Amino acid sequence: MRVGILGTGFMGVTHAMGWKKTDAELVGFAAESEAEARPVVEQFGGSVYQNMAAMLPDVDIVDICTPTHLHYEMVLAAAKAGKHVICEKPLALTIAQGQEMVTACKKADVKFYVAHVVRYFPEYASAYQAVQKGSIGRVATMRLRRGGFRPKKANGNWFLDEKKSGGMMLDLMIHDFDYARWVAGDVVQVFAKKISSMNPTAVLDYGMAILTHKSGAISHISGAWAYPPPTFRTGLEISGDGGMIHSDSDSTAPIINYLQSKPGEAPDVGLPSSPVIESPYTTQIKEFYEGIKKDSPVRLNAEDGLAALQIALAALESARTGKAVNLTTEVLA
Amino acid sequence: MKIGIMSFAHLHAEGYLQICRTLPGVEFVGFADNDPQRGEKFAKLFETKLWTSYEALLEQKLDGVIICSENNNHLPMIKLAADAGVSILCEKPLATSQPDGREILRICEEKNVPLMTAFPMRYSAPLMEVKQRLDSGELGRVYCFNGSNQGELPKKHREWFVDPELAGGGALADHVVHLVDVMRWYLGAEVIEVYAQSNQIFHADEVQVETGGMVMLTFDNGVYASIDCSWSRPDYWPAWGGLDFEMITDRGAILVDGFKQNLTVYSHVLQRPSWAFWGSDPNVGMIEDFIGSIQEGRSSRVTGLDGFKAVEVVLAAYESVKTGQPVKIE
Repeated sequence: MRVGILGTGFMGVTHAMGWKKTDAELVGFAAESEAEARPVVEQFGGSVYQNMAAMLPDVDIVDICTPTHLHYEMVLAAAKAGKHVICEKPLALTIAQGQEMVTACKKADVKFYVAHVVRYFPEYASAYQAVQKGSIGRVATMRLRRGGFRPKKANGNWFLDEKKSGGMMLDLMIHDFDYARWVAGDVVQVFAKKISSMNPTAVLDYGMAILTHKSGAISHISGAWAYPPPTFRTGLEISGDGGMIHSDSDSTAPIINYLQSKPGEAPDVGLPSSPVIESPYTTQIKEFYEGIKKDSPVRLNAEDGLAALQIALAALESARTGKAVNLTTEVLA
Repeated sequence: MKIGIMSFAHLHAEGYLQICRTLPGVEFVGFADNDPQRGEKFAKLFETKLWTSYEALLEQKLDGVIICSENNNHLPMIKLAADAGVSILCEKPLATSQPDGREILRICEEKNVPLMTAFPMRYSAPLMEVKQRLDSGELGRVYCFNGSNQGELPKKHREWFVDPELAGGGALADHVVHLVDVMRWYLGAEVIEVYAQSNQIFHADEVQVETGGMVMLTFDNGVYASIDCSWSRPDYWPAWGGLDFEMITDRGAILVDGFKQNLTVYSHVLQRPSWAFWGSDPNVGMIEDFIGSIQEGRSSRVTGLDGFKAVEVVLAAYESVKTGQPVKIE
């Protein structure tokens, strides 16, 4: 099948590396400008497309790796053209938009996957499987944390513009909102706080959310844009009535560097860096591709992306209003 | 300096007794317990004098008593000690209800008896270093805390720890107060709002109280903080549990663990790793402060009011669990 990638930032390049491990034909890229897409095309081959409309006739799959605020219109356009869609997280910026996107893809009878890549990280996938196997009994509490530094961008830093990215809760913490729901089921209440809601001029951000699951389990999710570059650390702790699972990037890092760093060496976006032979991003792309090609099972669908968005938006609302926010599962129906 | 212990109901009495014996100028006279079986067991174990009534112990012209009764018996014990004019160090949580807590403070004030709450973390070497650096301005301005005081089910140590009446609740009553006190100490601020969720999934069939709990606090200076107070550690965890927090300031974050200074010991006997703490015992500093406050006629670093303020947070947490919304503390 033929695939085209929209967006040539870090995520577009990462997805391209994944597609190169499949038998799909990567026909090319479209970015905000031709100049941005050019070096990526030189690396991965294919053509530079002026825009999405120019790309659509040449592809079967559209892989959307653009800033969050562009997802909505791009997914609708892809569905309208009858193309399968892969979209980076978060799915959208509002529930209404997310619902419309899901409905449009259903109507068009195209596949629609949201790239919640944490489900493909080996430690997270293994922990999920261990819980499924009953290794720790019924889940009671869960602590998930993920943190790095504020994303940098040479120009137009959309990450820091809440209207474009939704801020840290939608961009970063949504990974663990999705994972918590995957492990412990639907969420019925959210209470959350974050620095940026209380101190809009703060130079860093840190959010915490308490999720109550329908099952009775309670999850604590924390997200940081607070550490000095290039720090990025994650941790999970799942406790059940029959045991517990713990994993922590600080203590599982197989390589520890104490090298003198040069100024300006830190990457733009903090990322996990436990080397595995196949990147979790590649595992994800392969599974999505098999899902599209052969209708084989995929560990998450667009509704899961919508549910994660619902939790993240509830956390934002709670941080803004100071109230606990109750969720219904009706929006997902 | 004559010190005695009222009740050996709480596990910590064992440690306090042994610390008292090591301190110069302190005479540990013995303890009283209304449970004869428990009393005799520990009197024999520690080769110390046992009184079967608290009044009899208090007739020994003590300078200070350490109260290690069940949580809901703190009030009657404090009444007796205050009547005898003896300085008091009371286990946490200070009380299991607001009226009890208020009455405790009133009696001690009326009788002019110094009251201290057993919050040993204020005497933890790593926590004290961070407090000092915070006060010096080095760490910047605090935004929030992500705290955890998880532990094992305390039932194996004492049955009453999981009795809703005697303990005043489960994990929330047991493990919220320490971090609340640390944060109040660090910030010099008071908690004005509490949100909490709890459940009873760990050890569900063994106990009648909540075993899982998460709390989110807001302080009057805008700082917010979460506390995981769950009894989530398995019985075969390398230690009883722990207390740690991440503190986020405008300079970044600092991770603090009160119980990380451990040896990891792999023993054929246990057949699992265990942590042997080699850090400085915070209880020693706490008892030294208690003794010093009596000797020097000064206030201890932790007071009865500190104990009461932490109890207020616990009670608000239970209220929040009921209502499903944050609860204000005036």
